[in-house]
Amino acid sequence: METFLQSLVNGTLTGSLYAMIGVGLTVIFGVMRIINLAHGEMVMLGMFSAYWSYTLWKIDPFLSAIFWIPLFFIAGMLTYRHLLKAIIPGGELNTLLYTAGLSLLVANVALFVWTGDYRTLNLPYAMTPLRPFGIAVPVPLAIAFVLASLITAGLYLFLGRTDIGRAVRATSQNPEAAALMGINVERVSMITFGLGTALAASAGVLLVPSLYLYPTVGEILLVKCFVIVVLGGLGSIPGAIAGGLLLGMVESLGAVYVSVAYKDAIGFVMFLLVLLFRPQGLFGARP
Amino acid sequence: MKKALPFIAALVLLLVPLGVSNQFFLHVGITVLMWTSLGVAWNLLGGYAGQISFGHAAFFGAGAYTTMILFLRFGLAPWYGMALGGIVGALISIPIGLICFRLRGPYFSLSTLAVAEIIRLVALNWESLTNGPVGLLITSLPHVSFLGITVNWERKEPFFIIIALLALCSMLAAYLFVRARPGSYLAAIREDEDAAEAIGINTTRAKVNVLALSAFLTGVAGGFYGLYFRYVDPDTVFLISLSIEMVFIAVVGGLRTIGGPVVGAVFLATIAELFRDRLASGHLIFYGLFMMLVIRYLPEGIWGRVRRALNMRR
Repeated sequence: METFLQSLVNGTLTGSLYAMIGVGLTVIFGVMRIINLAHGEMVMLGMFSAYWSYTLWKIDPFLSAIFWIPLFFIAGMLTYRHLLKAIIPGGELNTLLYTAGLSLLVANVALFVWTGDYRTLNLPYAMTPLRPFGIAVPVPLAIAFVLASLITAGLYLFLGRTDIGRAVRATSQNPEAAALMGINVERVSMITFGLGTALAASAGVLLVPSLYLYPTVGEILLVKCFVIVVLGGLGSIPGAIAGGLLLGMVESLGAVYVSVAYKDAIGFVMFLLVLLFRPQGLFGARP
Repeated sequence: MKKALPFIAALVLLLVPLGVSNQFFLHVGITVLMWTSLGVAWNLLGGYAGQISFGHAAFFGAGAYTTMILFLRFGLAPWYGMALGGIVGALISIPIGLICFRLRGPYFSLSTLAVAEIIRLVALNWESLTNGPVGLLITSLPHVSFLGITVNWERKEPFFIIIALLALCSMLAAYLFVRARPGSYLAAIREDEDAAEAIGINTTRAKVNVLALSAFLTGVAGGFYGLYFRYVDPDTVFLISLSIEMVFIAVVGGLRTIGGPVVGAVFLATIAELFRDRLASGHLIFYGLFMMLVIRYLPEGIWGRVRRALNMRR
């Protein structure tokens, strides 16, 4: 029973960060209908940014989120404006291939500059885990969970309550109609891409004290991210949150009760089954 | 004259080892030709049928492992093993096709990625068959005499001739396939799948057929990889980036062309080998960069653009 609770807690904590990455991918897909294969690299860049600001300037990674998030928001908007905008009219397969190129480019520049070494960031206060009810909770993961929940809730409020947020949702439902209602779809796309990038990067910033970091970490994270958004239904934010939590739990329970070796395969099998039998996602209604 | 050109080019290619003995140059040539056959194989499905697969490493790895296992366990000479590797690739492609072709566009691409990852994990964990992460190693290749000459496997020349023949056969097979009726089916599917179905094309069967051919050619090239490098492990032959490199070679060279993968392979694989020789890594930076530039400025690929320019001048 204790093992079960322990893996459930671990799963929820990592799942919340998966969810954040997934939400980033899904808002971009919702508005622009593109699957951004460079999304994992945004997480990787977030991780390295927090790592370097800690190593060079001794800024706590969780504190550094305050400036890294806006910086990545701007970087995302610039990426959209200067790199992606011209490609999108060429169709979804072209954007898929283009972002694959971007992903390879970013990951390998990082590999060239920072080498393939595995790095870790050890925070002084992270050594002993909290032990509520006899369950070990690693401190950095707990802080990351709280912050991830706050950021995701903030995004939810932003999309639900503000004018820009409403414009984003309207564009996601129907770009032509939104444009006819006087929404500047170009601008909304740019903001959305910035948001998605910022979410991915902040997940990276929050994950850095809990995960090994290396330049090609984005690849595995991206693949997990696909599993999440497909589980929840592409384009659905609540779906991505649920999918992230579900994947986190399935992975940690699977590692305990099925096999560590096939832990990652469980996710992929779920992914295929959902794509085949419920392409609208586990929680979506039939379109 | 124009008709004879490909044959002359093929003959010249096969005679290269007579004139060139620089082993590094031959090695680059071998790599280029291997990537050419992979690009041609991928292009059949990705270019002609418009189904972008991110999972071709599965067939490559299956071919490589089949060849290695048949040789190490049963002593079957690797050249027969290569053909059987292709057949195994084609066989596993059929269930994969039947599953993944239920999906379209980007969803299909993502599902092939997932299938390839599942197969990689199986290869990694099925230790009794694949030797797991340790991989398989061939220490020496069997003696072969040809026209009274004993083949020296320590040199690159025999490998060059094998892979040159393989690349030429792949191109010929692709050429014949897309000019025949199944090729027209693929064009119909690529342009509008619903319309293709409406005029009575069994789209699933047409797609599974071309996938099987593509997987066969990929599997044979995988077998060659095993033969040439004499070592395979799951993280070299089942890697996602291997699938991605096949995509890049076909797209940068030119989708829906026979010559495109040659140009893509010459361009990208040469860069890769030069980088590996001088700097150990970094070539993938250029892969990514060229991909982005090609999609942005030359969506028909380098060879596609050149061919159009040549046609316009006439």
